[in-house]
Amino acid sequence: MSSIAVKSDFLDPEISAASRERIASLQLENLRETLKHCYKNNIFYKKRIDDSGLDPDRIKDLSEIEKLPFTSKEDLRRNYPFGLFCTPLSEVVRVHSSSGTTGNPTVVGYTGQDLDMWAHVLGRIMYDVGVRRDDIVQVSHGFGMFTGGFGFQFAAEKLGALVVPISGGNTERQLKIMSDFKSTVLCCTPSYTLHMAEVGEKLGIDFAKLHLRFGFLGAEPWTEPMRREIERRMHMIALNSYGLSEVIGPGVSCECLARSGLHINDDHFLTEIIDPETGKTLPAGTKGELVFTSLTKKAFPVLRYRTKDISYIYEDDCACGKTFIKMARPLGRSDDMLIIRGVNVFPSQIEEVLMKVEDLEPHYLIVLTKENYMDKIEVWVEVSEGVFHEKLMDLEAFEKSIESKLYSAIGIHIKVSLKEPRTIARSEGKAQRVLDKRQERN
Amino acid sequence: MACACWEPEYELMPREKLRELQTFRLKNTLVNVYENVPFYKKQLDDCGLNPYKFADLDDLVKIPFTTKDDLRDNFPFGLFARRMEDIVRIHSSSGTTGNPTVVSYTRNDIAMWASLIARDLYSTGVRSTDIIQNSYGYGLFTGGLGLHYGAELLGATVIPVSGGLTERQLKIMQDYGSTVLCSTPSYALFIAEAGTEKGIDFKNLPLKTGIFGAEPWTEEMRAEIEARLFIDAIDIYGLSEIIGPGVSCECTEKKGLHIAEDHFLAEIIDPVTGKKVSPGNPGEIVFTSLTKEAMPLVRYRTRDLSELNDSACRCGRTHARMKKPMGRSDDMLIIRGVNIFPSQIEEVLMKIKEIEPHYLIVVDRQNYLDTIELWVEVSEDVFAEKINDLEKFESAIESRLYDATGINIDVKLKEPKTIKRSEGKAKRVIDKRKGEVI
Repeated sequence: MSSIAVKSDFLDPEISAASRERIASLQLENLRETLKHCYKNNIFYKKRIDDSGLDPDRIKDLSEIEKLPFTSKEDLRRNYPFGLFCTPLSEVVRVHSSSGTTGNPTVVGYTGQDLDMWAHVLGRIMYDVGVRRDDIVQVSHGFGMFTGGFGFQFAAEKLGALVVPISGGNTERQLKIMSDFKSTVLCCTPSYTLHMAEVGEKLGIDFAKLHLRFGFLGAEPWTEPMRREIERRMHMIALNSYGLSEVIGPGVSCECLARSGLHINDDHFLTEIIDPETGKTLPAGTKGELVFTSLTKKAFPVLRYRTKDISYIYEDDCACGKTFIKMARPLGRSDDMLIIRGVNVFPSQIEEVLMKVEDLEPHYLIVLTKENYMDKIEVWVEVSEGVFHEKLMDLEAFEKSIESKLYSAIGIHIKVSLKEPRTIARSEGKAQRVLDKRQERN
Repeated sequence: MACACWEPEYELMPREKLRELQTFRLKNTLVNVYENVPFYKKQLDDCGLNPYKFADLDDLVKIPFTTKDDLRDNFPFGLFARRMEDIVRIHSSSGTTGNPTVVSYTRNDIAMWASLIARDLYSTGVRSTDIIQNSYGYGLFTGGLGLHYGAELLGATVIPVSGGLTERQLKIMQDYGSTVLCSTPSYALFIAEAGTEKGIDFKNLPLKTGIFGAEPWTEEMRAEIEARLFIDAIDIYGLSEIIGPGVSCECTEKKGLHIAEDHFLAEIIDPVTGKKVSPGNPGEIVFTSLTKEAMPLVRYRTRDLSELNDSACRCGRTHARMKKPMGRSDDMLIIRGVNIFPSQIEEVLMKIKEIEPHYLIVVDRQNYLDTIELWVEVSEDVFAEKINDLEKFESAIESRLYDATGINIDVKLKEPKTIKRSEGKAKRVIDKRKGEVI
């Protein structure tokens, strides 16, 4: 993997290698359009823009956007399900959503034009590192309400590559298809990729003899040592891909072959870094929370959306030739959201389910570990006095029933361990609800 | 009845013109496979048919059938008629034993497939203002992505929820105001049951249409689904080897599934002799694709049992209708020498009101004799009130089954919700003779 040509042959040479001034002027033009579109078509944004005193027609500088308040996940939830859509439903052809049924999930919509844009920006990332029509793209991200599978599916199809929409799970089948179909590109979470490596090695598969060239890996934070491990074992170039459904899905940013920082698709997304405590904008190179404004979306534009992801942004003279700004790999979260095998989970979702179960006490601890590179999540919860002695025989069935409630509410398997009353440590201040023992995390 | 068509030029084409179109397209397909697929070149050479001079549809019977085994023998890409760089998608069967079957699509194939689904949805009244909850599984299975692309082409709002997580399905159905549900019929019933249990009043939901397929189901099951979900339940048919869902679909008349005859040529054959049977007689349905580029199949044996009807439909579409598939020739159970289909049993059960639409057929062999048991759930009150009469009730069902099938089936009534539910295709038969376990 040491000597690869980093210089790119771009899908959009005019934009991808444009001067920063040219990009900024394009951003300004599209920002005006987006503000006007939001103002005209959505009452929530109209009020916000009015209150801020911003006149979309008269914006002269990108920094004026700082007058607008942030949009938060709470705003999305309060406007559940379609309150922040800026086109009529008859123009919306797709809806995606965050996982879970507890609370209100966040719902995002796309027009046909939005889907084209999404396929284009993600397809461009793939093309620029060398994916072509004769590539065979194994999409092992989940499909469904999650944006991962669909994002890569449409992007690769638009490029004219061959897509194998295998979705997640069933590792032996993944490996059989990878070798029988001669897959050249893998789209997946990094932890599941390592799991495939491990299972494959056990089955005696020699990855050096397979045809994998690139992995576009994302939907969870990962580290440099993990990249080295994946590249060494899978014999492919592992690229960090970043995105979130509120902004578009995968395709917000991704590494190029230089593998140092993720180029943000600048012509479609405007990026700011803020201090998560004060909300103040921070200069380039300073660590803070990522905030995005979409510049071309129609059904579900976002203005200054707080991602809660911690990173920093910077311009550099990238060896690939692309002039889009870069963000550092996500370094953590400014809230308590957990990312388990690519699925976003809030401790409050788990709590909500537990609190509805009779015979449980409101004392629980979420324990995260890694087993064979895969995240494992377990919840310890105390049962009420007496339950332990009377129903000892049934405890296992009780655990299973709670596990199935958690699964149907959140969509991931969480192991439940019932504990005797007063055995989980109490806290005197803010309760410590999560014990994260995964070493790979930053 | 006035007809609303997505592609009226093709859907309303007079049958003589349709035959001309089929002949022209079939010739192109034969040339395509002759030039690009060694398997078909050999088949055509062996039967002495010159694809460049093909001019009469009746000559098609000279070509041997293509079977699932042929697909497996050519695993993975042996039957592809295009180079990989022209292929944009692969789907595959689950393949629990041996090699899975692999199918492929060019960009044009994907566009054609989407147009078929758009046609089907449009003909049942779905428009761009509708909200479609697609609960078919996504992935290598064609159900999810097939429906998805067609619904998106139509301009409707698609919720790609995929299968499973029933609570979430119900929440989305209520909160988003889904107007159309796409799933297997057995999962639709499961959703109905789970919703009723949660106190959801389906009558007051905006849901109005269900597009159900991927497994055979009976008229009685349709009545049950329609009554519980307060919707029109439409049968859609397809198989990945031919394209996926959209090979045929009912119109609002619900009297047979219109085959997209401008893209697929259908024949009905006797599954034992392979001879073509005359129209109106039941048999195995065989398809030849007429427009597919990446992987055309000639005379593919579906193993699905149906019959053809090319008489005029009240909806105005000229495309022939196939009868609701009655089962698969490989689902056929031979019990002490008698042929019986699970659908025959289901038909009887669905007519008995105290019974829930959940059942399992258990076949075994004891002392060298085949045995067949039918487990079926009774409704809540029956089990509670009539516990003494259960045996009598069982005998009554047994005798109705005997009348319908000619064999003695041992009926075991079960408490409500004790038979395992499925979130995709329902597993209705456990054949212990083949080593299957419950």
